[in-house]
Amino acid sequence: MFSLPILAQILWTSLATSTCFVLFALAFALVLKVNRIFNFAQAAMMTVGFYAAYTVIGLAGGPGWLGFLAALAASVGVAVLLEIFGFRPLRRRRASSMFVFIFALVISELIAYVIMLVYGTWPATIFPSLFWPVTLVGPVAVSQWDVPAVVSTIAAIAALFAFLHVTRSGQFMTAVADNPDLAEFYGITKDRIHLITMIVAGLLTGLAMFLYGSRAQVQPMSSIDLLLFAIAATIIGGIGNLGGTAITAVVLGIVQNASVLFIPSEWQGFLLYVFLFTAIVFFPKGIRLPERRLARSTPTPSIGADEAGEA
Amino acid sequence: MEYFYTVVILMALYVILAASFNFVIGYGGLVSIAHPVFYAIGAYASALLARDMGVPVILAILAGGLIALLASVALALSSLRVSGDYLLIGSIGFQLGTLEVIKNLHWTGGAGGLSNIPSFLTQTLGPQAYVAFAVAVAMCTVLLLRWIAHGPYGRAMSAMRDDELAFAALGRNAMVMKITIFALGSGLAGLAGGIYAHYFRFIAPGQFDLLQSSALLTMVVVGGLRSTWGPIVGAIALEALPQAITFINLPPSVLGPLQGILFTSLVLIFMFVRPQGLIAASARWRGRQEEAR
Amino acid sequence: MDATTISLRRRSLLAGAGAVGIAALAPSAAKAQAATPLRFGLAMPLTGSQATYGQDQVRAAQWAVDEINKAGGINGKPLAAIVLDTQADAQTGIQAATRLASVEKVPAFVTAWSDVVKAVAPIANDSKVVELSVGANSAEIAKLGDYVYTTFPLADVDITAVARYAATTLQKKRAAVLYINNETGTVAAEIYRNVFTKAGGTVVAHESYDPKATDWTGTLLKVRIAQPDIIHIQGLVADTPQVIAQLRQLGMTQPVSSYSAAYNPKLIQQLGAAANGVIATSLAPGVNNSPAVAAYVERWKKEVGREPNGLPYTQYLYDAPYLVAAVFKSLDDKKIAITGENFRTEMLAIRTFELPLTGKLIFADDHTVSKPVYLMEVRNGAWVQAAVVG
Repeated sequence: MFSLPILAQILWTSLATSTCFVLFALAFALVLKVNRIFNFAQAAMMTVGFYAAYTVIGLAGGPGWLGFLAALAASVGVAVLLEIFGFRPLRRRRASSMFVFIFALVISELIAYVIMLVYGTWPATIFPSLFWPVTLVGPVAVSQWDVPAVVSTIAAIAALFAFLHVTRSGQFMTAVADNPDLAEFYGITKDRIHLITMIVAGLLTGLAMFLYGSRAQVQPMSSIDLLLFAIAATIIGGIGNLGGTAITAVVLGIVQNASVLFIPSEWQGFLLYVFLFTAIVFFPKGIRLPERRLARSTPTPSIGADEAGEA
Repeated sequence: MEYFYTVVILMALYVILAASFNFVIGYGGLVSIAHPVFYAIGAYASALLARDMGVPVILAILAGGLIALLASVALALSSLRVSGDYLLIGSIGFQLGTLEVIKNLHWTGGAGGLSNIPSFLTQTLGPQAYVAFAVAVAMCTVLLLRWIAHGPYGRAMSAMRDDELAFAALGRNAMVMKITIFALGSGLAGLAGGIYAHYFRFIAPGQFDLLQSSALLTMVVVGGLRSTWGPIVGAIALEALPQAITFINLPPSVLGPLQGILFTSLVLIFMFVRPQGLIAASARWRGRQEEAR
Repeated sequence: MDATTISLRRRSLLAGAGAVGIAALAPSAAKAQAATPLRFGLAMPLTGSQATYGQDQVRAAQWAVDEINKAGGINGKPLAAIVLDTQADAQTGIQAATRLASVEKVPAFVTAWSDVVKAVAPIANDSKVVELSVGANSAEIAKLGDYVYTTFPLADVDITAVARYAATTLQKKRAAVLYINNETGTVAAEIYRNVFTKAGGTVVAHESYDPKATDWTGTLLKVRIAQPDIIHIQGLVADTPQVIAQLRQLGMTQPVSSYSAAYNPKLIQQLGAAANGVIATSLAPGVNNSPAVAAYVERWKKEVGREPNGLPYTQYLYDAPYLVAAVFKSLDDKKIAITGENFRTEMLAIRTFELPLTGKLIFADDHTVSKPVYLMEVRNGAWVQAAVVG
């Protein structure tokens, strides 16, 4: 049971299938870190992204790349609308996190119902077939979906980190995540940054959903379930810690799969909640929500220091 | 008629749920959406005690409420230690995790549900007796919560919610208060669960999931956070409105999603246009200028 | 005054109560003239996640009611169905059933979906109204009480057939059972294991998976190691194709069997060549077995533009009004009052019914029914009937 080929297969396939979830988790974690919201409405972004791709490819018979662009565009579109008409006004009136959460949850349901109205509830996939042929690499079966998924996810993650560390907007995002009011003193427009964050989250979500929908069936309510895994990974991995989130998503996927070798298969689903609870109860120190965090001992954004000439 | 009794009982139950939920998130300011899980725990506990252990139903219902209360204390203790906002994720995880457990255990009936729950009052005194019972409990709940909220304890809750730091500085223990509020609210939800179980005599885990949380949130938000009568209005409206929608003669394929769309749109409109809900909380509860804190 | 007007009056009286919806049924009752219509209830999911199936099933039933009335109704009296929404949810179902029993006072009603069937059983038994479960297959349904009957074979019938087929006809000795971790899956998996073992085989792997799972590698590898010569999958429409896809990707070429959830034309499209060799069950005759069914499917394609969702289930729902009408007619001929109690007695007295789209139906004393199981297999990219059992 614990032979090398078995473990290798589990490792590879888990890695490949966790790619979508890594992206979902990163999108969620990013919005939480910078905008300080539990963006439950990401489920709405996911659903719309999928159905956009499905419409272009599955229903209209368009080419793959067009469907991909449709997924990105739709997801980003929803994200932008959410920010401009939802989160921004709520932020302006200093609504509590509970209020924002209710808003996000209800929006997700609203979108799900609209999709149900238009597309019905029958499960759908982006491409007519969800079967991807495999080639054997040693004892491990690698499907034609796996490699593009892993490659595009790594590329997306690399792009994200490059964006956050190299570009001005990205650095501003980190500044706002740290201390939004202070960042404003340095001339960073919070609203603009919040919007950019949502757009980035939309891009990640669109890509992830396109990948997911190419190998699995989706129904209007599916996204909410998918999102729960992403949320768990975010919490366990450490709020504010994007790298931790990504790694957690992969590890959770591998552990869930490998767990059947150790525990009765019925309890596989329960495992996630055990991890979540353990993380909340036993590792609170390393995990603190941004709102409660007092001033950090990190250097102020380098932009200000450079312009002033001296620290 | 039977049908009417069923509806009234459901309304009474939702009043209890909405009022107790309002107490927890409105007055207490605790960010939890797991209220349905305590409803579930109360229902299952009461049903199992009565059905499998022969406990008299009225005691089983009370026990159900007590077990729900204890479960909520456990949840609060573990999640509130760090910060109040953690309760949100903890509560989602607790709700879904508990439902998973229920689905996997054989003696809870699993995912298929628990049937043959012993009845109470209906066989001996008729369904009207049960209606009276449910409505009485609902009224007591509302009055009890109102009495607490309008008394000295209520002022303390308000202070804690408005400025926790100052509250602690004055020597009051915020943690204890939060746990007490959460426990009371959840215990009442558990009682409601027991009352549900012994009338409808069938419960399944699927009835207590996130959609139920969302429905309760709707009742409280649309009804009016932190008002006494708000949740009651919300509970009754949420039961009556679906019926009203079906009067518009729409084909069923449109009706279903449209119902959901109208509902969620309603909540959103309320949240932006009238965040204080149908029945606004009285001035003393509005705290600082923040709308829903 | 037809059924719709009565319903509308009652609806306005009951404004502000409950969460159920009534689908207007105006055209059908108007066909057969005179007299008060003979009514029965139809509590199905018109809204919610199961509506895709529920609405098609209701449409099939409504077609049947129309056909019956076109042919003169029941001794000239029209048949009418009071349609209420259950959302496939236990509580909504209870409200619908209570309304049917105590307000509309029907002698019998048709319903489906195990949760609802179980939840409304006490109402049927207490009010002495016959509950006909059409489509739910939980084994518990046979034990829900005196007034609860099923016209659809329960879980053991088709699983037993496919398990026995694997052991005896296909001569398989080592079976792996992979099932979704909910009531449907668990019960059926158990049945498969018992039957396969009794027929001389061994179940070498018996693994469940979480309903929310999207990756079955671990479980499938466990199955692969056990080296089965046939794999039975008991999942849902949403996950079965993916499970089969991953199974094939992991190099398992064994034949795969499933139950009616796998029997839909989309499966072939989704799996391509990987679908070949998949065996599924159907509990109703197909277009090649019966000209009536062929005509029925043609009508769907013409009037609705597609095949019905869950074709076999719609066939059963098409037949349900015929069954009800037959009992009504018998009671009417004998001038017996049409109450729930009498309906039940008469239904059991008649016992054997010849129904248009599903053939012969015989009610057993233990509240079960036995029907032939059609074993369908994917060969060369199309569903083909491999065998008929029972």
